[in-house]
Amino acid sequence: MEGCGDFLQWLGPDMSMNILMCLKDPSDLVRVCSVSSSWRRFVIENSLSKQLCLRLFPEISSLAHVIEVENMIEPIEVKPDNSMEWECLKRDHRVYAFLARGLTSFVRKDCVSEAIFASSTDNYPEESIQNTLEPSDRVEQRASYWSSEGESDPTVPEILDYKLIAKLCVITEIHVQPFQAYFQLGFPIYSAKAVRFRMGRPRSLMEIGFRDEFEAGRESPLYAFEWTYTSPEFPMAQENCLQKFKLPEPVLCIGGILQVELLGRVQRQELDGLFYICISHVQVVGRPLSSGFDVDIHGPSGRCTLKYYHGAEHCQSPTRAPEG
Amino acid sequence: MSSSLEKNMLILRSSDGEEFIVPEVVAVMSKAIKNMVEDECASNTIPVPNVDANILAMVIEFCKKHDESEAEAASDLKTFDSEFVNRGQEALYDLITAANFRDVKELLDALCQNVAEMIKGKSVHHIRIQFLGYQLFEILTSNFIWNIWCDRDFD
Repeated sequence: MEGCGDFLQWLGPDMSMNILMCLKDPSDLVRVCSVSSSWRRFVIENSLSKQLCLRLFPEISSLAHVIEVENMIEPIEVKPDNSMEWECLKRDHRVYAFLARGLTSFVRKDCVSEAIFASSTDNYPEESIQNTLEPSDRVEQRASYWSSEGESDPTVPEILDYKLIAKLCVITEIHVQPFQAYFQLGFPIYSAKAVRFRMGRPRSLMEIGFRDEFEAGRESPLYAFEWTYTSPEFPMAQENCLQKFKLPEPVLCIGGILQVELLGRVQRQELDGLFYICISHVQVVGRPLSSGFDVDIHGPSGRCTLKYYHGAEHCQSPTRAPEG
Repeated sequence: MSSSLEKNMLILRSSDGEEFIVPEVVAVMSKAIKNMVEDECASNTIPVPNVDANILAMVIEFCKKHDESEAEAASDLKTFDSEFVNRGQEALYDLITAANFRDVKELLDALCQNVAEMIKGKSVHHIRIQFLGYQLFEILTSNFIWNIWCDRDFD
């Protein structure tokens, strides 16, 4: 089609907004900004990058106002008198464009970095939660799975906590494979009745590392983590396969902690008549924030600072133009 | 109401004086006309200022199709929409102005989406040619390696 008109001039701001709001890819908005000075001004003045980012990831609104100080971006109180300042808007534009782009990058299946807590473990370390990071249920002739302790009550739940590879991740699916005891008579599958997922952040500043009941006693991880998202319950099949649980919508996890709740037991062990849950693999599918960003979480308030390091990634231009 | 006019029909008069006889159900897809009809300030002829006959005919065509095809498959309507909005930019802009002014939401959405499609995934160069229609920029910026974090002000 032959080109002709600049819609910004022809149609005015309202209709131009309508058009540009149809763009769903942050890269498109960034390109629009380079078309001309008037287009750039329009995109920045109307915070289109921010609006797009918040439309794509409504969870980000807790980081709603950002400011860049040296190489850092942190949320500040919204002050009505300066909220429309051009410099401020320009910063917002840059941050949100980058954030949206960082989060809409490729989807990966290996969003788990560490296993950090199991509410119980039958035999440690042979049946440790660490084994659930391994996709296969056998490693060098040995079975690889996590097993709960046995319970006579089939309703007793279990909890598995994982650390994700980035403190900001958009999670879309969680895959869980129950373990089939191929060495037991009748090959029982120790699945759970249902699963539920929580996402959140550490409550304290302490570095989160691996703890299981042997290290940390029976301290409930509920006290250690602040949950910002709880999924609906998904029924689990008693089948030895990687079962895929797709979240109703993508969830932004701020803080990088994921909890798998295993609700109810279905399989009794012949030997002792107790109910167990065994899991051979847990996989988390999503988009971790690219490495240019990091998040600091401040104390129990849950306030967090979004940091952006220049030059860590995507900064291909060696001659960055000076500000202003 | 004139006797020759069928029941539930309205006459729309374009800015250049041409008249269109349109079923009321179609005409009221324009919120602006709907309000006039509801407020009973519509005589049998409704003037549609700022919209010429050519554009008004297109808007009516769109509304008619959407009115008829409520029962039709959504995919058919989608095909119609995409063909309908596939026009030269001038007509497209006139239609957007008309759809906005007459408040025809479905048409406005389809049109804006169509313009956005001309931007999606396109290079800056392509967008400039498409919408600004000149190549002066290319000379000015031939040595300019653009980067998303290169925060250069053009002003």
